[in-house]
Amino acid sequence: MEFLLENILNLVGFLVGLAIGIMSLIGFRNTGSPTLFRLTIAFFSISVGFFVIWAGYMMEDFVIKSGNIEKWIQTLGIIVQTVGYFFIAFSHSIKSFFPKSRYFRAVGIFPLFLISSVQIEHIFRSVSFILLAYGAIETILSYFENKNKGAISVAVGLALLALGEFLGWYSFVFPESILYSISMITKIGGLIALFIPVSKIPLTKIKFDDNLE
Amino acid sequence: MVEYRTHMKIIGDILSTTRDDLQDEDGATVTYLIRKANISHSRISRILKTLVSQGLLEQIDTQGSNKYRISQSGREFLQAYYTFTTFADNFGLTI
Repeated sequence: MEFLLENILNLVGFLVGLAIGIMSLIGFRNTGSPTLFRLTIAFFSISVGFFVIWAGYMMEDFVIKSGNIEKWIQTLGIIVQTVGYFFIAFSHSIKSFFPKSRYFRAVGIFPLFLISSVQIEHIFRSVSFILLAYGAIETILSYFENKNKGAISVAVGLALLALGEFLGWYSFVFPESILYSISMITKIGGLIALFIPVSKIPLTKIKFDDNLE
Repeated sequence: MVEYRTHMKIIGDILSTTRDDLQDEDGATVTYLIRKANISHSRISRILKTLVSQGLLEQIDTQGSNKYRISQSGREFLQAYYTFTTFADNFGLTI
C-alpha cells in the first residue's frame, strides 16, 4: 500500500511539476518576466525531485529488489524538491533565508558532516515545511488583495503539501503508524489543488518568440 | 494605498493604451502616453525606445512629432502578458 501510494505521489508530483514548469517557461520566453523565471526553476526542481524518488523506487522494484529504496536517493530527491520550494518562497520576497555571517555559515554547514543521510532527509523535510507554509500564507494574503479565486486553490495546495511534509516528518517518530500513508495522500491532494487553476489558463496562440529575450 | 507597479506592468499599460485607447489612427503621442501610463518623460522615453527596438511598437513620424502604434508582435506580447499575469496571480505573484 505504502509502495503504491509513494509511486502515485512521485509520478503525480513529477507530472504536475513538469506541466507548471513548462507553462512558466513559456511565460518567461514570451514576456521575459523574472517572476516566471523563478517559477520555472521552482517547478522544474520540484518535478526533478519527485522524478528522482520515483526512479529510485522503480530501480529498487525492478533491478535491485532489496525491499528498501536507497536512502541517499530519497534524500537527494527531497533536497532537489526543497530547492523548488525555496524558489516559490523566494518569489514571495524572502530577503535572507540563510545566515549571512561567515561564522554562522561555518556552524551551519559543519553538522552536515556529522549526521547521517536519514537525519539530513528530516532536516530538509522541516525546511520544506517552513517554505511551503510561508508560500501558502503569502498566497492567501494575495487573495485578500486581488480576490483571484485561483489563488485559494494554490494556497490550499501549498498548505496541503506543507501538512504532508509535516506528517511525513512526524511519522519518523511513529514509524509503523498510518501517518506516512496519510502524509502521501495529503501531498497528492495538494499537488492536484496546485494544478487546478493552472490547468484553466488558456495557452492558445501563445508561442515561443526568440526575439523577445 | 499607493500601488507599486512593476516594470512589466508599466510596459503592459503602455501597450494596452496603444492598442485600445488611441487618440487617432496615426497612434499616440508621448504626452498622451505619459498621461495614460502615469510615468515620467525620461522613463517613458527609455521604455519607448526599447519597445520600438524590440518591434513591439511602431514609431510613426507625423508633422514633426513622433507617434506610437502597437505592432503585430506587440499584440502577441500583450496577449501573452495578460495570460501570464493571470497565471502568476494564481500563485499570488506579479509578473
